[in-house]
Amino acid sequence: MSSLRALMATIGKMFAADLWLTLIALATVAICAIGLRAHMVSPGGAPFILAGGAFVALAVGVARGARR
Amino acid sequence: MISLATAAPVVGAAFIASTVEVAEAFTIVLAVSVVRGPRPAILGTLAALLLLTLAVLLFGPLLSAVPVRGLHLIIGVLVLVFGLGWLRKAVLRAGGALPLHDEMQAFAKETQALRQAPGSGGASTTDWLGAMTAFQAVLLEGTEVVFIVIAVGARPGLLGPAAIGAAAACVLVLAGGLILRAPMSRIPENTLKFVVGGLLTGFGVFWCCEGLGAPWPGGELAVVGLVAFYLAAGVGMAALVRRRQARSALP
Repeated sequence: MSSLRALMATIGKMFAADLWLTLIALATVAICAIGLRAHMVSPGGAPFILAGGAFVALAVGVARGARR
Repeated sequence: MISLATAAPVVGAAFIASTVEVAEAFTIVLAVSVVRGPRPAILGTLAALLLLTLAVLLFGPLLSAVPVRGLHLIIGVLVLVFGLGWLRKAVLRAGGALPLHDEMQAFAKETQALRQAPGSGGASTTDWLGAMTAFQAVLLEGTEVVFIVIAVGARPGLLGPAAIGAAAACVLVLAGGLILRAPMSRIPENTLKFVVGGLLTGFGVFWCCEGLGAPWPGGELAVVGLVAFYLAAGVGMAALVRRRQARSALP
């Protein structure tokens, strides 16, 4: 039982080390997906939005971690 | 036939990432072996490896049922979030905001905990506790290795090369550990974590774009640029964190 709990905690930590980092990364992917489907974002621009969003997510995660 | 140029980054990423995880698991297994004897250490390790193999055999075929574009998006999102987490931690450690992971310290802590564990007098209790400790360590670190292998090998024909990279890491750490008979404290763990964080983030962004139907200009070569960009960003952020730490340490 403790192994299962530890496994769940490990999987949780793998994908949500910092809540805001995870949320920003997921929101960026969602914005790109919705934007592409609604033709508000061009297929040529989406990769750069995604790369920028990942950079912002990292910056926010690092800034929050450094403040602790 | 997969070209060497396609397979090499996958093998390399799986190898580097797995080295970090296997070294961490090895430290705990070695502590169990030293304090409780090799039998529970081997038993716990084999049980965890069996469970991980079953999980791969069970869930692996499910992945092939997902359409390639959907698979790229799912794996891309998971790799992106996982990679950003690794890179963040490596940046904070390099900047001094988090302590560096020390295998010798982890080994000392684990051996002390195993020696002080209640009920360590009876032979069967000793075996059970030691085996469970080794089992848990291999299962937890192994889960990350399995995820990394699946993540970097998420394209048709690349799962094999990724598995080879991970297997090579296991062999290297085990051989090194058996020769040294000590935790693998010489492995520059944070540097490896930094590199893997950059690699996974780059792969994650690339696969998300492929999955969304908005591929990068330059095709697979774009991964190199993305990885370099996130590594450079990480180095810059680590320098900023270091400067902040130095400023806050001043009276």
